[in-house]
Amino acid sequence: MIEFQDVLLGFDRHRVLDRINFTAHYYDKIAILGVSGEGKTTILKLLLGLMHPDSGRILIDGQDITDLPETGLRDARMNFSIVFQDGALFDSMNVRENVAFNLRERGGLSEEEIEKIVREILSKVGVEEAIDLMPEELSGGMQRRVAIARSLASDNPKMMLYDEPTTGLDPITADNICALMSELSSGVPPDRKGLIMVTHDVDAAAKIAERFLYLNHGKIEFDGSLAALKSNDNPGLKKFIMEILI
Amino acid sequence: MNIREIVTELQNFYIMSLRSFLGLFCKPFYLRDLVEQMDYAGAGSFFIVFLVSLFIGMALTLQISIELASLGLKMYTGKIVGVSIIREIGPVAIALSFAGRVGSGMASEIGAMVIGHQVDILRVYGIDPVKKLVIPRVLSATIMLPLLTLIGDAVALAGGAYISVFVGHDSGSFYWSQIRGAMSFANIFSGIVKPFIFGWIIACISCYMGLATRGGSKGLRRATTTAVVLSTIMIIISDFVLTQILLVLLGMHS
Repeated sequence: MIEFQDVLLGFDRHRVLDRINFTAHYYDKIAILGVSGEGKTTILKLLLGLMHPDSGRILIDGQDITDLPETGLRDARMNFSIVFQDGALFDSMNVRENVAFNLRERGGLSEEEIEKIVREILSKVGVEEAIDLMPEELSGGMQRRVAIARSLASDNPKMMLYDEPTTGLDPITADNICALMSELSSGVPPDRKGLIMVTHDVDAAAKIAERFLYLNHGKIEFDGSLAALKSNDNPGLKKFIMEILI
Repeated sequence: MNIREIVTELQNFYIMSLRSFLGLFCKPFYLRDLVEQMDYAGAGSFFIVFLVSLFIGMALTLQISIELASLGLKMYTGKIVGVSIIREIGPVAIALSFAGRVGSGMASEIGAMVIGHQVDILRVYGIDPVKKLVIPRVLSATIMLPLLTLIGDAVALAGGAYISVFVGHDSGSFYWSQIRGAMSFANIFSGIVKPFIFGWIIACISCYMGLATRGGSKGLRRATTTAVVLSTIMIIISDFVLTQILLVLLGMHS
């Protein structure tokens, strides 16, 4: 269970998040919508303890992680895995080493076991043929897939976090990534792996998510289903989704 | 930047530097990263150190031999060149070259990892960026800079020998006997201690600036420039302080 309670964060007198509140379960499929610079990615970073709010509390399974030191955040972070917008692959390692990275760091597995797991995961995300390539040799879509593969290899997370997963991709590749994300979060609650995606791509969000949050001027101005999103009368949100959904 | 921000930055820098030292004694040890960094900092810097040292040695000998010849003291050229290079010019010049090449590389590489969220990924996986990124770099700089300084000193003295013999028309064996005379314990100790400290300073400053990178490519440029400028200033200042301390410790202070 994830809880954001009155979370406030500002940079240089600009309030990025202005006392936001929401709760979510690990099996939820949530899209956080908003234009660029509205603090969507910041929410993911706060959730992982990569940033700390100025005030308010963030609770993971009832534990307040707001002021936890780096060492105390490990258990909370193990519930999640994140795929950043550009993949954030280690550019000095090839695809195999990227996906195997956390498996090796955790230890306890032989090289043969690691190789088997890496190949299985790469096959699952459809990029097994790229196993020996370096990140700069991959297309944008393949980088996203490898980043997803690396996330899956880490600690079997309960929830996937995606930062702008379709940005910069052509429509067909974006559709493929959406299909992969849906497949990874398929199943029936509460057993499925949930997701939080932050995006300004409403079309992609509509294909994957079941719950939508709209962030505007640091506040959550909408929290509801796709049907409610389409029929809402918030002028800012209407304008935001008009070109794509209506 | 106001005073509060400067104090916070200094505090964060000291904490990171202290952790980079204490982290040497607790697991995990990233030996593969250490070897990779030693290769980059050491073998990768050999050519630039060779060139810089050779020309510094030649220029210094040229200047000194001309000045001493006008005073009728040309026979001391080897001794003065030897003492200058071993105790002062060698460690400082090579450290400055090292800061330009290796320090800027460390700051820009770590900075790019921060901007590209690779450091965030490490943290999400429970890997301490100081242990994984900073300690191998600090250790490699602290090991490799003294070795490079030894090589650089030898090359500079050889460059001096070339000028002394082929331009100054002095005896090569006399030049080398003067150099041997300059190789006292105090001189060699002074010349060896400094690069350890310089290596540690360069790596700590560069890694800190890399980790503190904010704001895209402009921020990366700022971080890299600041790393090299601060390293350069700190090398010069710490050289003066170390020289004072070593002169007192070795009983050479007048």
